[in-house]
Amino acid sequence: MNLTTTLPIIAPASAEIFLAISGLILLMAGLFINKNTLKIISYSTIAILLVTATLVLIQSENALAFQALFISDSFARFIKVLIIIGVIFSIIMSFDYLKRSENNLFEYPILILFATLGMMLMVSSNNLILLYMSMELQSIALYVLATIQRNTLKSTEAGLKYFVLGAFSSGILLYGCSIIYGFTGTTSFNGIATVVSTSRSTSVGLIIGLIFLFSGLAFKVSIVPFHMWAPDVYEGAPTPVTALFTLAPKIAALALFLRVMLDPFRDLLISWQPLIVFLSIASVLVGGLAAIMQTNIKRLIAYSSIAHMGYSLIGLASGNETGVTGILMYLTTYTFTSIGIFSFILCMRRNDSPVENISDLTGLSDTHPMMALALMIFMLSMSGIPPLAGFFGKWFVFISAIDAGLYVLATIGILSSVISAFYYLRIIKIMYFEKAAQPLDAIRDKKLQLTLCGSAMIIVFFFFAITPVYNTAISSSILGFNLS
Amino acid sequence: MAILPLVFYILAIVTITSAVMVVTSRNPVYAVLFLILTFFNAAGLFLLMNAEFLAMILLIIYIGAVAVLFLFVVMMLNINLVVLRQGFTSYLPIGGMIVLALLAEIIMVIGLGGTELKVTAAATSPISYQITNAEAIGRVIYTDYVLAFHTAGIVLLVSMIGAIVLALRQRTDVKRQSINKQNIRLPEEVVELVKVTRGRGV
Amino acid sequence: MAITINHYLIVAAILFTLGIFGIFLNRKNVIIILMSIELMLLAVNINFIAFSTQFGDLVGQVFALLVLTVAAAEAAVGLAILVVFFRNRGSISVDDINLMKG
Repeated sequence: MNLTTTLPIIAPASAEIFLAISGLILLMAGLFINKNTLKIISYSTIAILLVTATLVLIQSENALAFQALFISDSFARFIKVLIIIGVIFSIIMSFDYLKRSENNLFEYPILILFATLGMMLMVSSNNLILLYMSMELQSIALYVLATIQRNTLKSTEAGLKYFVLGAFSSGILLYGCSIIYGFTGTTSFNGIATVVSTSRSTSVGLIIGLIFLFSGLAFKVSIVPFHMWAPDVYEGAPTPVTALFTLAPKIAALALFLRVMLDPFRDLLISWQPLIVFLSIASVLVGGLAAIMQTNIKRLIAYSSIAHMGYSLIGLASGNETGVTGILMYLTTYTFTSIGIFSFILCMRRNDSPVENISDLTGLSDTHPMMALALMIFMLSMSGIPPLAGFFGKWFVFISAIDAGLYVLATIGILSSVISAFYYLRIIKIMYFEKAAQPLDAIRDKKLQLTLCGSAMIIVFFFFAITPVYNTAISSSILGFNLS
Repeated sequence: MAILPLVFYILAIVTITSAVMVVTSRNPVYAVLFLILTFFNAAGLFLLMNAEFLAMILLIIYIGAVAVLFLFVVMMLNINLVVLRQGFTSYLPIGGMIVLALLAEIIMVIGLGGTELKVTAAATSPISYQITNAEAIGRVIYTDYVLAFHTAGIVLLVSMIGAIVLALRQRTDVKRQSINKQNIRLPEEVVELVKVTRGRGV
Repeated sequence: MAITINHYLIVAAILFTLGIFGIFLNRKNVIIILMSIELMLLAVNINFIAFSTQFGDLVGQVFALLVLTVAAAEAAVGLAILVVFFRNRGSISVDDINLMKG
């Protein structure tokens, strides 16, 4: 057997390599800086993430790297940019909270940085091995982040719950990977695609492996019936960490889900399409209906993000490029709306301690009209009212479902969108039409103010930027190398 | 007498039995010790499958590090065993049925579906029995799978950071000696000579 | 009777389902849950090595080695989280995790 004596191709992965090396250097630096450590490291992390985004955008061609373990195509680049935007804003939003809770662990942004590395590798993985390794990298960093406020009971309970269920789902995913390896003889997505497309009858063993893999991934995306962990973990984790959870890992897991379903297993579409249809309907309905009864705003956001993932899955059910375009548009609007909502939640304080109940928002329009206006914009966008950004996201996803002939799915999606608008409008009613019991504090942190206003403006004026975003999404919706 | 099937059956039965004991033990220390027995026998199974490097690594890492870590934590937490003995069987019937169904399905499809486990694709990295298992794995992991290898390294780093960030407590009530600090201390900074007048304090 | 790959796969399947069973059964003891997760990962390792021997392909063994590494890392973080939880709560029962309901 010949030893490969040439270096592997590494240029397409330059962004990830830069991120990893700078993470290591930053970790060392953090140990030697004595004053203002958290601030310096946080700003450095933001700078490193900006450079990483540039490195991602510089690549313009689809390429395989590291002996076909790593793939860099335009889909991966689009998602990576979304992930980096989400992570940068979640770090910006965390400054105020960390300072006030007197948490000055400088490892917080470094763990976020390594989690981002895991997410970027997940999105670019072309092999079952890299899929599992990068998913574990991201998950372990996030387990630690959920427990980072280790002196509070809520945070540690959330972390333990997240860990147990996350490790369990990783085990199931891995068992699926082993069965798929057993029935195809290879772990590379290209190899699996070849085996799946050339075999005359799909072996039952391969389907079982796919089901296990699917279940593990569905947990990470938190769709029904694997959604139980999300509300508890989101409520218990510290709020900037919840913001991170809502933004980046979900998008990365959904992108991985898309790649696995559409790259190696595309020919099994007939097998898994009804399952996806059922799961998306279930997620949309459960997320919508359960959110109506919530009193805690973080749990409300958790359930609504379950519903959002259900809407994105509607785009997957169609199984073609239009669906992927729809999902990319939906994820873009979802990112900006979530950034806005969490910057609002982080501003909810009374007497300097954070409050989380919806009943604390009464009469906000009298005491803080600008904050109330921003939240109204976010709520209307989430429920899909035109001409705000959320409407366009849902529009493209439903168009792709109708395109593929899934009329029932589209109808149920539209209906549940109307139903879920109920609880968004309820919040607006509470803000504008009820008397203020106790007012919230004014926002003191400039960064939060800027983020709040900025995201509200982006959502209002998204209509004007829609054509370039849509064109980018179309060109990014062809996955992998099997261009069919 | 056929040695190989006999050895396989002994190892397999002990593995499964000790795994059952891990799951059903009331006492966590017993559970950890049965886990160690499970790992030993699984290493034996690996040896039967010609994967001697992985068998030894299993012994070193899983038993030598992970199981010992479990034992440390069990000892450290000082668990009240009386409370643990209650409420064990409430989930037994339903959970047992679901798990048995899952097991039956897996065995039917995979364990007995022997005709489908043919080699359908050319082996990506064929095993050569001329070199040792360690060398063979080394040839593959540092060349074809180097990205996965480095990711594993970063996973270990992150878990180390995580464990330290979460579990390390600085004890403020214990005085510790720092030889460096003692050596760089200058008498002018620490000792102050004050002239005290008779009858007055400092 | 000759030992074929199916025997190894059945052993792995039994271990895997025992691990799942252990997670559902042990609500009072989180340490046993962590050990059940280790059993699941051991079952997956047996699966990979069995398939690797069947195909004469080293990829399975490489994957098993990496899974071993990650399992150890995950166990470390899981135990750290358990220790922190225990310091705050004083018990290791999953049934006690009821601060957040609904």
